[in-house]
Amino acid sequence: MTPALAVEHLQCRYPNGTLALRDLSLDIGVGEVFGLLGVNGAGKTTMIKVLGTLLRPSAGRVRVLGLDVGRDRVEIKRRIGVMPQDINLDTYLDVRQNLIFHCRFHGVAKRESALRVERWLEVLGLRDKAQEPVLRLSGGTKRKVMLAKAFLTEPEFLILDEPTAGLDPEMRAFVWNSVLDFRRTRRTVFLSTHYMEEAERLCDRVGILHGGTLAALGRPSELTHKVGEDGRPLYIEMHDVFSNVVGSAA
Amino acid sequence: MKFVFIMLLRDLTADAKAINLAAVRLVLQPAVYLFVFGYVVGGMLPTEGGRYSEIIAPGIIAITVMTGPFVTVGGSILSGYYFRTMEAWLLAPVTLRTLMLAKVLSGLFYGLVSGTIVGLLIWLILGLAPQSLLMPYLLGASGALFFSFLSIVILLFPETPDKGQELFSFLLMPMTFFGCTFYSYSMLAPPFSYLALLLPTTYISEGLRAAYNPALPHMDSTFVVLGLLLAVALLYPLAGWVFRRRFRDFTW
Repeated sequence: MTPALAVEHLQCRYPNGTLALRDLSLDIGVGEVFGLLGVNGAGKTTMIKVLGTLLRPSAGRVRVLGLDVGRDRVEIKRRIGVMPQDINLDTYLDVRQNLIFHCRFHGVAKRESALRVERWLEVLGLRDKAQEPVLRLSGGTKRKVMLAKAFLTEPEFLILDEPTAGLDPEMRAFVWNSVLDFRRTRRTVFLSTHYMEEAERLCDRVGILHGGTLAALGRPSELTHKVGEDGRPLYIEMHDVFSNVVGSAA
Repeated sequence: MKFVFIMLLRDLTADAKAINLAAVRLVLQPAVYLFVFGYVVGGMLPTEGGRYSEIIAPGIIAITVMTGPFVTVGGSILSGYYFRTMEAWLLAPVTLRTLMLAKVLSGLFYGLVSGTIVGLLIWLILGLAPQSLLMPYLLGASGALFFSFLSIVILLFPETPDKGQELFSFLLMPMTFFGCTFYSYSMLAPPFSYLALLLPTTYISEGLRAAYNPALPHMDSTFVVLGLLLAVALLYPLAGWVFRRRFRDFTW
């Protein structure tokens, strides 16, 4: 079966010469929730941009849903949903218009767009803010709208860059449930996060990105459960796993 | 193609949200220009072969045909940069060429609509009308296309559009005042007449002058249209190259 994501020796260098990703290889299966952990500047957002076809790899090969990110950009974009880290809402439009135009740009028919948008406005509790210009929204509400955009096109592969950053605990729980519901439909999620708890609770596998490459990769249980020096099982907090990996790789 | 029209609809929706600003830009500003320079000043100045208002009215249309695409295409690139909207558009399942085409056609639409509004204002305030509509629309369309492509080149050639913004403002002034908008080309002597030939507003103004009153001194209309179309044909691949170069890898 074709993996949802196949990355082979990916290297990504910015025009200013910065090498953001180096020799990164990774496979993600269909229906898997994969979490990418890393400190600021580790390369998480660069990785997300490559998967979203916004950046071309400098070397190596990346296939999303069996399609090449360099060659098949349009088809990939048709089948993925992306929630970037920075707010990219259309400041000239209100909330509802932002969502409607997002659907329409992605080829969703007019009537269907309206139905989906009303459903998501209801689900996210944004009905009373539907006609509010996005510039007037709080940071958390803007992220809710961004989240709705990622789900609205009903993608096969969801790419979320720090989806719960800046959200209150209630909303964070909502995002987690949305991701888990999404996975139940055998669709794939790739998310980057700063939150260890999020990675542990949501992800089937976790990768720790450090210095542009994967410094650790495995199931959260594999990374957190080790055998102690005395041979007895030892549980290590995800946070400590992260600190150890980032510390040892540095 | 559907994407192109949806993008145009988005631009219209955004303008409808700020209808007061759009009305000032599209109606009030040109109306004030026409009243002051066309009606008041134009009534005082004698001009060879016609009235001064017949010289300035086509020039005001030329300025509008320039600013329409500048505001639409340039404005959307700038807001796309400052508010990251460009990232959202780049994530839409279309090619870079289609995205650029959508922006350019929006610029063309706004150039033609704003030119038409000013044409109506000229008729209302100054009582002037072109002898046929074909030439004004041909000039308006080629001018609007030219300025749409030019906006892309100016703003996207530098690494970030904020760097191109200064050049944008710098170009607006000579295009407005030295492009034979407030006087006809025949009034200029060298070296200013040579310099005016470098500015596309010169050709649009002169072509429109011929359409409004052929008795006024003006450039040859065929030369004007061919010149503008050639400029568009040369600028299109350059704009396409700049657009691809900037967005093939999105680093804003």
